[in-house]
Amino acid sequence: MEALIKVRDLTKDYRLTRKREGVTGGLVDLVRPRHELLRAVESVSFDIPAGQMVGYIGANGAGKSTTIKMLTGILTPTSGTVTVGGLVPWKQRLQYTRHIGVVFGQRTQLWWDLAVVESFRLLKKIYEVDDATYERQMKLFDELLEVGKYLHQPVRKLSLGQRMRCDLAAALLHRPRVLFLDEPTIGLDVLAKENVRIFLREICEGEGVTVILTTHDLGDIEQLCKRVIIIDKGRVHFDGKLDDLRRRVGRQVRMTVELRDSATSGELASITAGLPVVWEEIEGLRHHAEFNRVEVPGAEVIKRLVNELRVSDLHMAEPGIDEVVREIYRQSGREAS
Amino acid sequence: MKENETNWSQIPQKGPVGRTVWQAGIFAAYFTQFIKMRLAYRMDFFVDTLAVSFSMVIQLAVLSTLFSKVKALDGWSFEQVLFIYAFSLLPLGLFNLVSVNLYRFSDQYIIQGKFDRVLLRPVGTLAQVIFESFNVSGLNEILLGIVVMTYAGMKLGLDFGVQELLALAILAPSASLVYMGVFLTITSVSFWHEDRMGLAPPVYNIIRFSRYPITIYSLPVRIFLTFVLPFAWVAFFPATWFLGSEEFGRLALLTPLVGLVVFGGSLLIWQRGVRNYASTGS
Repeated sequence: MEALIKVRDLTKDYRLTRKREGVTGGLVDLVRPRHELLRAVESVSFDIPAGQMVGYIGANGAGKSTTIKMLTGILTPTSGTVTVGGLVPWKQRLQYTRHIGVVFGQRTQLWWDLAVVESFRLLKKIYEVDDATYERQMKLFDELLEVGKYLHQPVRKLSLGQRMRCDLAAALLHRPRVLFLDEPTIGLDVLAKENVRIFLREICEGEGVTVILTTHDLGDIEQLCKRVIIIDKGRVHFDGKLDDLRRRVGRQVRMTVELRDSATSGELASITAGLPVVWEEIEGLRHHAEFNRVEVPGAEVIKRLVNELRVSDLHMAEPGIDEVVREIYRQSGREAS
Repeated sequence: MKENETNWSQIPQKGPVGRTVWQAGIFAAYFTQFIKMRLAYRMDFFVDTLAVSFSMVIQLAVLSTLFSKVKALDGWSFEQVLFIYAFSLLPLGLFNLVSVNLYRFSDQYIIQGKFDRVLLRPVGTLAQVIFESFNVSGLNEILLGIVVMTYAGMKLGLDFGVQELLALAILAPSASLVYMGVFLTITSVSFWHEDRMGLAPPVYNIIRFSRYPITIYSLPVRIFLTFVLPFAWVAFFPATWFLGSEEFGRLALLTPLVGLVVFGGSLLIWQRGVRNYASTGS
């Protein structure tokens, strides 16, 4: 089957103006500005078939948003091609935007002072959604997102979580075939995040909408995306199944242990002898243990510790997205050299 | 899987007529929403209406005081000058009605990034920016203009038949296109230079010159107002047609052309600006 989204050698340079210092510098800038090229995205290529949910992840400034902006037609690339549904986003903007939905987690696309339902009515008009489709979508959104409760409240009075639900509904009102999400769970509490994830899964699996989302939250990826594309410094460093990513990065966890009596790293290492655990003393009674959860059961480490020592506190931390990205980046750097 | 699931380019698009009808519908929808929004802040709405009505009364008082001292101006009678002044309020009101967002454009759309969202909707960029807010006080200017024009016209003994009303319906909107073109050009600058240049307020002040017969100005000013910043076309030239002026009345008929050229030119600049935005993402 032919891919719905085709991206080939996509590259984007930003031209930055470097300001000179002082008044004379300012005057020189007027006549001869100094420009510097910043490559935000560098020959990115991928195909996405219809109905897939893909996580597009990377650290801050990795080029995620720039890619999304090119895919949605906001930005024109320096070179490379994108076609979505046979259309070029930035060239056939008016035609293209009818088929896509976009949600930016940081910004609302609803009218701030209007009741939510008024925004929906306006969007209905803009996208020429017929009454039957409108009713159907509203029913769906009410079932899955419970937007019915907020319909008559002005957007400015909604909480972030409520606003995000309404934004998702607004982006999907015209039944787009592709949904782009830029940090859809940013700033949301645990419950609100969960609601958004359940909804997205339903939209993708139930409605067959192709979803591309960028996120900082590994939880989003783990619960939603079978496929992950990792970008760093503008380049794709990983494109594949989430399981493969996990295998490649491992599930490195860091356990923080707080003891009642002092112990050296050597003593701790002898307690976990036979297990590949790396110990590091942080300060006085606090130690870090790093190990791969796939190889080492966390419970085993804890059991041995509490049998031998008086432990006052334990804390386990999963690696954040930044660490996963760093690990992937480190590995692909190693492969390259 | 259906063909148009993966190929959207086959889906038929609207013709020019369909597009216009659809766009007009959207304009109406935006306007309705705007009124609702204003009514949501009910107190603001009343205060606004009150303030605008008050300023109308003041403007009328200033006019009558001014012209009680001046009986004629460089060969133009008091009533003629009053008529030109009143005519100038029609295109200005029309322009003010839809131009609020042009003043806020640099700040709200470029710096705060609202323009990204504009690019994500299947409606023309300029139409969206303009339709998203209105300035209702423009309606008051139009009303004031009509009232004073009627008064001056009666004093002058002008008879307003079908032909005159038709001319008014064509000349006033054409003249407002001149305003639109000038300020759209200024607004488009913010696509290239983020920091506001503050060009709009001084230009806006020059509009005042356009409310009086341009024959009272020196030649350089006249040339400037006719060809450079063509504000002579927003009131003086079109208004003189109604006054039956031999000399300028014929020029009045060029107003629609001037309006279209100035506005058309500014549209091209705007579109270039949009392209620049898309390539820089600023």
